[in-house]
Amino acid sequence: MAWTWFHRLGSPPYIYGLAARLTPWFAWCAALTILGGLYGGLVLAPADYQQGDDFRIIYVHAPSAWMSLMVYSTMAISAGVGLIWRIKVSHAVAAACAPIGASFTFVALVTGSLWGYRMWGTYWEWDPRLTSELILLFLYLGYMGLRSAMDDMQRADRASAVLAVVGVVNVPIIHYSVLWWNSLHQAPSVMQLAKPTMPGSMLIPLLMMLFGFTVLFVALLLVRLRAEILNRERAASWIREAVTS
Amino acid sequence: MSEFLNMGGYAAYVWPSYGLTLGVIALNIVWARRLLARSREDARRRLTMRGEET
Repeated sequence: MAWTWFHRLGSPPYIYGLAARLTPWFAWCAALTILGGLYGGLVLAPADYQQGDDFRIIYVHAPSAWMSLMVYSTMAISAGVGLIWRIKVSHAVAAACAPIGASFTFVALVTGSLWGYRMWGTYWEWDPRLTSELILLFLYLGYMGLRSAMDDMQRADRASAVLAVVGVVNVPIIHYSVLWWNSLHQAPSVMQLAKPTMPGSMLIPLLMMLFGFTVLFVALLLVRLRAEILNRERAASWIREAVTS
Repeated sequence: MSEFLNMGGYAAYVWPSYGLTLGVIALNIVWARRLLARSREDARRRLTMRGEET
């Protein structure tokens, strides 16, 4: 009895309907928090005493970098669950994650480059943090390329899942790269267990952006997940109701 | 206002960063919606094809 909720999570029609109902809530929540975070970051937060207004790039750079890692972790975990328990919905989640994660990894790299130019004096350096983040982008692109190269959905799911799971070793490497190696990139100032090293007026907009991006990811994932489920459930009888309504 | 747009002399770095980020967010929304619309259309087409066969 207690397990019925768990089984329903593997049921495509249930997830399809649930995703459709939940999407507007997450979308509106994301819109409001991101708009609030933008206002806080661009207008309310004071300029940094060393970096001036250039530091404001943090409000788009850090959330994008967070997305790149969080989305990859979600993708790898769902792919792993799909491989082990052969749950179709799980593979659908993983496939839905990749384009979202790839696009925000790209944003994290470019905004980091723009920020780094004035602070470090260079757009790019083969630095541990920057290089491992670039590898993350290639992992996403490899995952998507592998999927699109296979016509058989089941084979694509399984092959790409292996790649996603193996690639997950890169996630802790990116996170700890600034501590393990001598990196140009600064050490974490928010994502640490001790007290964050930032005043509230700068920190609150950043937390709003991090939260807003995460909720946006869920909203995007739910829309893409419905598409992925439809593509997998070619013969199911519930599809007729789902697409004609 | 022009002081705000000037971003303390960092306008050339700050605004492109924000522009790119918001642009990618907008693209993600468009892509996701288009993907779902296309998948629904494909599913509908498959259903009518099967309907005609039987």
